Amino acid sequence: MNARETAWRIFAGELNNSSLEKKGADEKSPSYLITPLGAMVNRVMIAGVLLEKTNTGTEEEPMWKGRIQDVSGSFFINVGKFQPEASAAMVDIETPSFVAVVGKVRTYTADDGRVFVSVRPERIINIDDATRNFWVLESAQSMWKRLIAMKNALQTQDPTIDDLVAKGFPPQDAEGIISALDHYGMPESSKYLRLVQNSMRLLLPDRSIDLGLPEDMNDLPDEIDMDEGRSKVSSSDKEDIILRLLDELDEGHGAPRPDLEKRAEVEGISGMEVEEISNTLMDKGLVYEPNLGYLKKI
Amino acid sequence: MEMNELTPHLEELKRVLENKVDEQQLMEDLNTYINVYHLDMDAAKRGIVRKYGGNSIGFVTAEAVSKKIGDLNGSEQNVDILAKVVFSEKKEVVARGEKKTIVSGILGDETATASFTVWDGSSCELEKGAVYNFKNAYVKMWNDRVQIHIGNRGVIERSETDIQLPERNISYSSSETKIGDLREGIGNVTVTGRILTVETRNITVKGEQKTVYSGLIADDTGKVQFSAWNDFGLKEGETICVTNAYIRGWKGIPQLNIGDRSEVSRVDDAFLDADIGGSSTKTVGDIVRTGGGLDITLSGTVVDLRMGSGLIKRCPECNRSVLNNECVSHGTIVPKLDLRMKVVVDDGTGAISAIINRECTEKLTGITLKMATDLAKARGETEIIAKSMAEKILMKHIKIRGNVMSDDYGPMMIVKETDLDPIDVPAEAAKLLETVEGSI
Repeated sequence: MNARETAWRIFAGELNNSSLEKKGADEKSPSYLITPLGAMVNRVMIAGVLLEKTNTGTEEEPMWKGRIQDVSGSFFINVGKFQPEASAAMVDIETPSFVAVVGKVRTYTADDGRVFVSVRPERIINIDDATRNFWVLESAQSMWKRLIAMKNALQTQDPTIDDLVAKGFPPQDAEGIISALDHYGMPESSKYLRLVQNSMRLLLPDRSIDLGLPEDMNDLPDEIDMDEGRSKVSSSDKEDIILRLLDELDEGHGAPRPDLEKRAEVEGISGMEVEEISNTLMDKGLVYEPNLGYLKKI
Repeated sequence: MEMNELTPHLEELKRVLENKVDEQQLMEDLNTYINVYHLDMDAAKRGIVRKYGGNSIGFVTAEAVSKKIGDLNGSEQNVDILAKVVFSEKKEVVARGEKKTIVSGILGDETATASFTVWDGSSCELEKGAVYNFKNAYVKMWNDRVQIHIGNRGVIERSETDIQLPERNISYSSSETKIGDLREGIGNVTVTGRILTVETRNITVKGEQKTVYSGLIADDTGKVQFSAWNDFGLKEGETICVTNAYIRGWKGIPQLNIGDRSEVSRVDDAFLDADIGGSSTKTVGDIVRTGGGLDITLSGTVVDLRMGSGLIKRCPECNRSVLNNECVSHGTIVPKLDLRMKVVVDDGTGAISAIINRECTEKLTGITLKMATDLAKARGETEIIAKSMAEKILMKHIKIRGNVMSDDYGPMMIVKETDLDPIDVPAEAAKLLETVEGSI
């Protein structure tokens, strides 16, 4: 069957770490990019903030390049003349704005062997934050499923595809997992769990979510707090303060950092903390830097 | 080489050339090629076939192997199969613009059952329950199941041997199959379900008047159309257990056939309050596995809007969609306008095409036929409608309900009902968080 490939909901943090390709046996069979968690990806659905777009072609024959940020990193997109719908849509989409993309995964291998992953959109469209949040949810659910599948697969010592199929894995999942283990080795699960954690923090802003993961810098503002010997304000409250200040200080081009830091100081948030918090907010996709030294709410 | 050694090869030549060439002439040729020019047998036969304009591709040089159905792997090019006809029917199909009569059905032996097709079925009469030797057949895979094909070089010979279809199949069938798991081409199933509707139809099969009792039967996993070829006195609302039924498919939609070998018994309705006869909710992945089905509900994100969407023209006579005011059957016409969307819905487990009619399109996009017609008139073009629809519908999470068919390009739903399907993201996120926290 030539059934259409599923659009994987996948975070940049997983997709961009992929370097293993499986080429189709002939021209008609699809190629896949295999991720460290064993997803065999041909088509993706991604969502986030379109931060940059540039036309590197001509007006008649545009070649759009763009960068979309999600909770975990950036997707790079290329839209050419063979994607007429997406190409037409790119003209009108503004930066920054929430977008969703459905498209095919492409890779480029540099001379030094590094593999760069990009997405060639078939469709790109502006979305609202509810749609973006739904995408984050589906991507987190999907990643969690892969983490569990990987864990189950590793309960067998040196598993083969047949072992996994015998355990009830769908053949394609089994192939993906075994290929990923052969190529990347055991996945660093804490790294991916952190993506799940970041997603949950975005979707459930009122809950303080701590999965107790190691080396998670976002969990450390309390220590900085103690260094400064200042307020006992929780980190999510501080985020709210920063967001409020951004509203106040933004006169169209974003809030200048020096002003932001001055005002934050008054609220009991140190310069270092402002840095931390703005990084967290950027990871959550709530703010971005329109220019160096400026911070703006999305 | 002696003449009597040549005889079997002569027989083969006669068959490949469809007895169009005089036997004596062939024998002379064969003798010349072999005994005068000392060609090897393969080259000689090939040369003779080519000389008389026969199809040397259809020419079998290697001996066909005999296999049991259970041993077929789906790549056999030339295989002999001794099997019993479980079911067979003749039908007219259109292949490459030509009308053809084919015979298709199900074959069984001691090891397994498989569907089969005789591609030149005009002179092929197969008797149900009889055993035949299907020679020079080829085998393909479809939907992970083997299919036996008898092409123009195939030969079907009646055999006097009897084959006992295995007890195993029957015991397999007595372990019930849920209606939601039925798929095209499986034989010997046992199904328990409640009859939702039943009607009587009189049809003519091979010039013989026959009464068919057909309708819908459902369990808690789905519903399926059935046809009973004998009068079992089926009544609406009763729950029956059918043994030894077989499944035929129409465009991937399974249909339950209650045939001569089937038995029907009345059983207590065990479904209690389960929603019997309602729409069954599935993922696209489930559908890709079973092929299709009746009254399925699924939800997913609209990831594409295909060509043929928007404001379209239809023939007022036959309702076909037309381009340039020309209908293939009715010539130049004054078309009537309609709205339609052809979307791709993807739920992360798979992708399905969905055809959405005017009423549902208006509901989902808020664009009515009148608005679309006016806008198209004002702009002097219709492409704008599809573009506006794309903006409204792409990346939206929707719920769709309807019958699902399948072909080589995957599943497709004809949508009867649809609505936007907003998800309570915080609630779902809280659920996921609970699962994650519980397992690390």
